[in-house]
Amino acid sequence: MKQAKPLTKEQYLKKFSRAVRWRLPPQESEDAISDYRELIFQPERDESKLVEELGTPAQAAHLLTDVRTYRRWLKVFAVLAFGLFLIVEWVWTGRYSLTFAALRAWWYPVLVMAAGLPLSLYWFRRHEQKNGPLPRRLALLLAAVFLFGAGTLAWNWYVLSPRFLDFYRETYPVIPWQIIFHRELTINGGIVCALLAFAGLVLAKCYDRRWLALYTLALTVAVLCSFILFHMRRMDLSYAMANSVQTYLFTRLIPIGAAGLIGTGVALC
Amino acid sequence: MLKKDLLELCLLQLLAGGDKYGYEVLTPLRAAFPDTQESAIYALLRGLGKSGLTTWYMAPGGGGPDRKYYKLTPAGQARLEALGSDWRHMRDAIASFGVE
Repeated sequence: MKQAKPLTKEQYLKKFSRAVRWRLPPQESEDAISDYRELIFQPERDESKLVEELGTPAQAAHLLTDVRTYRRWLKVFAVLAFGLFLIVEWVWTGRYSLTFAALRAWWYPVLVMAAGLPLSLYWFRRHEQKNGPLPRRLALLLAAVFLFGAGTLAWNWYVLSPRFLDFYRETYPVIPWQIIFHRELTINGGIVCALLAFAGLVLAKCYDRRWLALYTLALTVAVLCSFILFHMRRMDLSYAMANSVQTYLFTRLIPIGAAGLIGTGVALC
Repeated sequence: MLKKDLLELCLLQLLAGGDKYGYEVLTPLRAAFPDTQESAIYALLRGLGKSGLTTWYMAPGGGGPDRKYYKLTPAGQARLEALGSDWRHMRDAIASFGVE
């Protein structure tokens, strides 16, 4: 049998904290960590026998786990993480490996959002808890994602305006820097937001359910980015209906954004 | 009676002798059941708390930070008596076969 690696008291508590935060609701995990801190840092405790006496940190966390709830959480997490993976793939490659015959490709990201938002809100509001005052880092990240999303929409409003599209048609086939910037902003921003949404999901599980607001807002912005990209890749802008494309796109983007903002508000409550 | 019930019986019996902090509960039980890790005993102790058989309070430790002391509730006392009765029946049943 493989010999367990000896751990210092600090290392043991750190590993145990990580494992238990992932498996238990925030309040329960904080209680368990506090109890283990007391048990581990007893003056009589021999550090070299820590793993022998308590088991590995993962084993200790497993013993406290409600296995049925934990398995259900893993399934929910897998669904939500897979949705984010699809968005990253769509934004990065501009192609889609799954097809839904009844829908145009640009609605696929909205489908991910339509599944991810209610599922995550249901799970976290039912099974997880708030933990102290609103984290400052969460407020800062939410502000940053919101500003990025608003900025991306404003830039789209500009490059899809009839005036700019006329200018674009005149300079074609030379691609103006505004379009290149638009593409980079949407692709990179979409990927960063999907990664932030993933981080929000993990932090909501481990620390405070209100981190889910980061998931919902960043997911919304990532969905908006991929929705725009799918449209742009299938639209020949040099012959676009200059007067209608801006209105067409924004009558769809605004309700998606509004749904995301409502979801973010619910996640913060 | 399963080993888990025996552990629970011993744990409740320990607490019946007076309020104890975690390490004071875990150490003698691990000494009595050396193949059981302290984490398993702690999980049992935590389960008893969730079932309302024990409760806890914070009190000053010996010169160090406050410690969490575990205390038996009336429901825990009743459970101890039930488990004790089961244990005596089992011991008598086994003894009737000549097992010492």
